[in-house]
Amino acid sequence: MANEQTRRQKILIADDSEMNRSILADMLEDEFDIVEAENGLEAVSILQKHADEISLVLLDIVMPEMDGFEVLMVMNQRQWIDDVPVIMISAETRSSQIERAYKLGITDFISRPFDALIVHRRVVNTILLYAKQKKLVGLVEEQIYEKERHSNLMIEVLSHIVEFRNGESGMHVRNVRTLTELLLRQLVQKNNRYQLSPMDISIIGTASALHDIGKIAIDEAILNKPGKFTDEEFAIMKTHTTIGAKMLDEMVIYRDEPLVRAAHDICRWHHERYDGRGYPDGLAGDAIPISAQVVAVADVYDALTSERCYKKAIPHEQAIMMILESKCGVFNPELMECLIATADVIQDVAHNIKPEEVSRRNIQSITQEMLSHEELTASERTLELLEHERMKYNFFAALTQEIQFEYTLSPAMLTLSSWGANRLKLGEIVMDPLHNENVLSILDEKNLKSMTAALHSTSPKKPVVTHDCRVCLDGEKRWFRIIARATWSSEEPPRYTGCIGKAMDVHDSRMKLTALEQLASHDPLTGLLNHAYARQRITERLAELPNCHYAMVIFDLDHFKSANDTYGHIFGDQVLKHVANCLQSSIRTGDIAARAGGDEFLLFLEYDTDLESIIQRIFHALCGQYEDFPISISMGIARTQIVGTVYENLFHAADQALYTVKRSGRGQYKFYNDTMKQMLSVISPIDGSQEDDTHSAQEGADYK
Amino acid sequence: MTLQECYAAIGGDYEEVLGRLRSERLIQKFVLKFLNDPSYSLLVETMAAQQYDEAFRAAHTIKGVCQNLAFTTLYQSSSALSEALRNGFTPEAPALARQVGADYQMTADAIRAYQEGLG
Repeated sequence: MANEQTRRQKILIADDSEMNRSILADMLEDEFDIVEAENGLEAVSILQKHADEISLVLLDIVMPEMDGFEVLMVMNQRQWIDDVPVIMISAETRSSQIERAYKLGITDFISRPFDALIVHRRVVNTILLYAKQKKLVGLVEEQIYEKERHSNLMIEVLSHIVEFRNGESGMHVRNVRTLTELLLRQLVQKNNRYQLSPMDISIIGTASALHDIGKIAIDEAILNKPGKFTDEEFAIMKTHTTIGAKMLDEMVIYRDEPLVRAAHDICRWHHERYDGRGYPDGLAGDAIPISAQVVAVADVYDALTSERCYKKAIPHEQAIMMILESKCGVFNPELMECLIATADVIQDVAHNIKPEEVSRRNIQSITQEMLSHEELTASERTLELLEHERMKYNFFAALTQEIQFEYTLSPAMLTLSSWGANRLKLGEIVMDPLHNENVLSILDEKNLKSMTAALHSTSPKKPVVTHDCRVCLDGEKRWFRIIARATWSSEEPPRYTGCIGKAMDVHDSRMKLTALEQLASHDPLTGLLNHAYARQRITERLAELPNCHYAMVIFDLDHFKSANDTYGHIFGDQVLKHVANCLQSSIRTGDIAARAGGDEFLLFLEYDTDLESIIQRIFHALCGQYEDFPISISMGIARTQIVGTVYENLFHAADQALYTVKRSGRGQYKFYNDTMKQMLSVISPIDGSQEDDTHSAQEGADYK
Repeated sequence: MTLQECYAAIGGDYEEVLGRLRSERLIQKFVLKFLNDPSYSLLVETMAAQQYDEAFRAAHTIKGVCQNLAFTTLYQSSSALSEALRNGFTPEAPALARQVGADYQMTADAIRAYQEGLG
């Protein structure tokens, strides 16, 4: 609270007229820090970032982008309105509008022209009122806790007396209470058949301490008898249920108190069985109050796991098994499910927990319930922690150079980190981003749609989506990687509510990668694919669609060596480039063209029927003249129809066809057929045989 | 020219504004600021472009400012105009806009004269 005096309160003024804002600011700036917003969207964006720092909002109705009512609606949806008071200032005089504003949760309405003194007074009053309310919430919490502590103490003393006579450890009552509350909370979570508020659970927990109070009237000799009871003794022992209930019933003044009622039910019926074979009344099923049912389970568990005068302590697992197998009574199956679900927790807490901790934990939820305040009222300490977290977040967000964002479906709103907003040249808040022109000019509709679809099809267990796409920034398309995590509501079934995520500029690294890939897969001189990469692509293609008709073409330049010798190697390179260009422009996009090495080229293409005319066209496109050098081509072709779809066989066959051409005078093309089987290879050996090697070197001398 | 005389020329209510804002310094500051307020030029532009929802907001803003400064004459005409534009164009809007124009000129002229007097 000391902080509150030193830290100045912050007021947000949202009004589209600069004049109006500055008149208001002038009146208030001596005492308050002023933040200004010139339209509703900006106001929401400021609240989004600083809702817990803003002590008050002065809100105009008529504003561009988003008007005052829309701001109030967002404040309601986000529950900011619970903690941030709003005073509406408007020239609006129609009572329907004013009423609407009040319905949306404003604290006060000041109409124009306003009086400086009144504005000032109302602002101060509202802020004081809210501060006081927050303080009161804390006070109420404290007081309830104190009161609870006292009555708990009384109940403990009382139940301890019973235990003392019973020769028990004094822990039994505590354990029963802890287990009772655990089981009840689990039961409430499980389904809503039992309408129990946190307050009800706390009352039942407290009342559970009194379950054996009737034992005060049982003879000590029976109570502490180590051996088995006689029928007569057991009959007396059973009366502790009715005696306890009677004692409570006779408290005429208090018997209608919820605590006393609960204690009564528990005392009387905590030995009933779900199958109706318990005592004293033989109630069955849901006729037994749920409070008594739960205490019965807790009582049995603790009795089993504790040492008694007539038995040793049984380990946790065994005790649970015995209860589940109905060896110590018959219980509500739903309660048994709760027991299974909480078994681990029960083991942890049963013999450890201090009851003060339990009730301290309960108090908060009870206070909240009393104030019917939906959200936990943030304490000062929480606010500081939040502020610290936000500072950390902003700092790291700015360092990472990532565009961080949050998208909510309702209201359809995109919130960007300030660095991200700057980078994208968007506001930090964009309403209805999927239909926003500026957003669509950055990320096109197709990408937005596929991202949205991907996010929708995630699940709460696997909510993360990665999407690489090109983003248009300053007229330049750059590659971004967007990683987003869908947010799902906690209800059943979960509902998609939006996402959080970040977008990273991966353009440079991606370009580098592409360049490296290009380098690794292409021949640097001609820009065609290199042999190794072409082989990979062709193999893939053959595997993908093995039933199509493909042809593998291998060709080389006749007398290329003389070009090198006569005009020099640079000229030779130019010839190769020229041929590569001719090849590129005479093939279709799906065809695969590569430089196989030296002056040899490789082409792989798919065809329907008339392969010959395709080959003819390409062949003639390649032949011709480069400067003074006449280009003549020898070409061998192998078809999958004849050779099959194994790459090595195709290549070998095309090579043999080429060799045949070389042998029969060059300057033409030939299709592979079986007669060529015994032909030798032109190109370096595929099967690695010595013979081929020799041949290749000889033949190579001709043109390399 | 004193601030009171300026208000008289404008057709405003000096006593009323002093009662609310409680400081001559403050009133002077905002009266002078009025000359820089873009709402009027926005009104002229948007009326000409027939963007009547924008024009409504501009008239509404002028109305609010005039109300705060007790520029009664301009307040009345801008108020009438903003009502005429609240749900889009109405036949009486252009005439009312002309009236706002005349009142604005008168107001701005008086303030400028007052400003010159301040030196």
